[in-house]
Amino acid sequence: METRFDVGKGRQHLWTRQLGAETRRELEGDLARLQPGDVLVLDLSGVEVFDYSFAAELFGKLLLALPREHPGRFVLFECLTEYTRENLEKALETLGVAAIERNDGEVNLLGKVHPADRDTFRAVVDADEALTAAELTDRLNVSVTAMNERLSKLSALGVLRREPSVSPKGREQFRYRALA
Amino acid sequence: MVARAKPTPLTKLDSVTFDELLRDQAPFDASTPRIDLRGVAFVTASGLVQLAAVCFRLRACGKRPTILVENEAVRGYLVRAGFVAAIKPLADFVPPFSPSLVKNLQQRRGASDLLIELTSLSSGSELPDVLDRIIHVLVSRLSYPRNAAYDVAIAVSEMGQNTFEHCSFQKSTGLLAMQVYNKAAKGQFLEIGLADYGDGIMTTLSRNPTIAVKNDVEAIMAAAKLGVSEYNDATRGHGLHHLLETAYDHAGTVQIRSGSGKVRFRMDNQRGWGFTVAPMVGTQISLALGAKAS
Repeated sequence: METRFDVGKGRQHLWTRQLGAETRRELEGDLARLQPGDVLVLDLSGVEVFDYSFAAELFGKLLLALPREHPGRFVLFECLTEYTRENLEKALETLGVAAIERNDGEVNLLGKVHPADRDTFRAVVDADEALTAAELTDRLNVSVTAMNERLSKLSALGVLRREPSVSPKGREQFRYRALA
Repeated sequence: MVARAKPTPLTKLDSVTFDELLRDQAPFDASTPRIDLRGVAFVTASGLVQLAAVCFRLRACGKRPTILVENEAVRGYLVRAGFVAAIKPLADFVPPFSPSLVKNLQQRRGASDLLIELTSLSSGSELPDVLDRIIHVLVSRLSYPRNAAYDVAIAVSEMGQNTFEHCSFQKSTGLLAMQVYNKAAKGQFLEIGLADYGDGIMTTLSRNPTIAVKNDVEAIMAAAKLGVSEYNDATRGHGLHHLLETAYDHAGTVQIRSGSGKVRFRMDNQRGWGFTVAPMVGTQISLALGAKAS
């Protein structure tokens, strides 16, 4: 299920940490109602600019807390302009967090993400079903250890969801899923 | 013994000569402070906010300064720029200003897009209007592309928030003013002055035990680095860094004064030059940006 949150609420310019904190408080209610696998879409339609304090307070704190406080839920950015995307990227890079953007139906990662992690994310997104580390290892031709590291990192960033499952041989394992 | 040279009378009040005013007139040392602007024929936006910060700080110390100002052009500017209305409760002007003149000119507040009158910043809610006016003047008067104007507004927003966020001093607020100038030698340019009379950068950074700075110049230099702030929090410490990045990108100039330190950041080699100046609490910042070729 997807829930949309209108970030700008008719405002083109989003200034100050204070506004970021107020917006985050409003958003917390929507986030608390989400179930694992659900998506909160941050709709930035009409927003032309936000400052770093706003971005750090709203997006930064939200994304830093997401894997810990709301595991398995996704936050997705939509309707970014070239300028707001560039500023969001800078803010996320500074904070060492990543986020998912959906643009014209295409899903990408924003923030400081290693190209190998980006490829892994892309492989999970492109798959029709949740994948195991072994399956991804085959698809991307890397070692299981390297793949496990990438998947742990992406799960910790809150851009992949980790689901417990059982292998055909009866062993416990995890499957990884991006957006539904 | 070397005799101290007689102070040269001020002819203008800007972010440079403000240091001379503090050094020569020492308003904080006097029991009845007297600020003599009688020789001053020109006041910039930065000079204006720094002088306002002096008056606010003096009031906090229980002192009421007398400001002597005679030049008619300067008197008119002080009224138009909102200085007289804001400072009248805190200082006596000699000669006094006519209340009706102040009232009439105050009613025209916001009428010129080339001027942002002295504005008090005590919370985030006061910033959006000021930032929108800065964006407007950069785009419409200085031919800035909209995104470049946004870069500047972001930097001013961060600095403006710093003026009231990093302050344990009771009832301290930030002060901001802006003026667009047209000078034969420099062409059209904008100056934004921001000042507060709070803790200052060194005191603020000293609350973070991981940061060690020996003096105000070092503190300013340290605070200009990304992520350096009083908090061990990755979401803080962006303000000065982004101000300088923006100034570098748009060939502007930045001067940061705090305590007894001052750093002028040169845009040609992206380096700061530090000076020791007469002490003043708080932090005062001057940003100048030239017009883009239209």
